[in-house]
Amino acid sequence: MTSVPHAHPATAASRIAVPAWAWALALLGLFGLYLIAQDNGAVLASMGGTAHEFFHDARHSLGMPCH
Amino acid sequence: MTEVLDRPSTTQPPGFGTLFSRLVAGGLVAGALAGVFSLLVTERAIAPALDLEEARTAGEAGHDHGEELFSRGEQLVGGFLGTVLAGVVLAVVFAAVYGAVRHRLPGRTDFARVTVLAAVGFAVLALLPALKLPASPPAVGDPDTVGTRTAIYGATLLCGVVAAVLVGVLVQALRARGVGVPGTTVAAVVASAVALALVLVLVPDNPDVIAADVPAAVVWDFRLASLGQLAVLWAGIGLAGGWFADRATRGPRVR
Ligand SMILES: [Zn+2]
Repeated sequence: MTSVPHAHPATAASRIAVPAWAWALALLGLFGLYLIAQDNGAVLASMGGTAHEFFHDARHSLGMPCH
Repeated sequence: MTEVLDRPSTTQPPGFGTLFSRLVAGGLVAGALAGVFSLLVTERAIAPALDLEEARTAGEAGHDHGEELFSRGEQLVGGFLGTVLAGVVLAVVFAAVYGAVRHRLPGRTDFARVTVLAAVGFAVLALLPALKLPASPPAVGDPDTVGTRTAIYGATLLCGVVAAVLVGVLVQALRARGVGVPGTTVAAVVASAVALALVLVLVPDNPDVIAADVPAAVVWDFRLASLGQLAVLWAGIGLAGGWFADRATRGPRVR
């Protein structure tokens, strides 16, 4: 690919190492978003329902299933 | 000579931390923009649905969603902040995925590559579920089927992500065999269309029947507003994140 200057506009960028903390943070963030969006306060019994009510409009407007 | 001029990205790969912080900053901007969109457009489409809900509960007197925990004003703030939060979290996930696939994405600059990945993200995580399970304003969905609908939503997202990975693998394989850009593009479009058709047909449909007292305009105004809000969110992740990332990696010889 290096010897063909015009065949592909995409020049191969070199690979970047993604540290484990980035994947962990990504999973944690998605899990948190899921908890906040979900109705039942099963996991965060005290504040789960409250957070859900507070962010309720975002749950609807971002296309997540609700009532 | 053109090799040099055509290569705006620095040849030295940027550190992941640099890309991460810039993409997440882009996600914050994207979330704020989408949050403003939600206040200006989506909330306006939610209002008639809430009126409908109120009229219903006034007639029935009984089960409700517990809306009274927060005032409408507080819920507007929550809708804005929830959208901002979603922008930041999506950007955190986006950054990790971007770091992993950056060297395979088309485009010579980080702006181009980030924009491409954001377009894929919009297609898979916003457009696909909007086609399979269109968003519904409050009072339209059946509370009894929310578990089923959440499962359908999750399955749709999962299928979309798998399909996107498979299309990516196909593109890489074709390129490795020396297939040009036109052939690769056609193959990617056809494969995406087949994947879309499979998801729409094979994943179960929304079990809900929209109640007769809900005007179609209330539902569709909301659906379009919701899709617009998601479009602003992903455009922000792509354009703001791409711009921020680009500024860190652009080679000194250009501009
Ligand atoms: Zn709801």
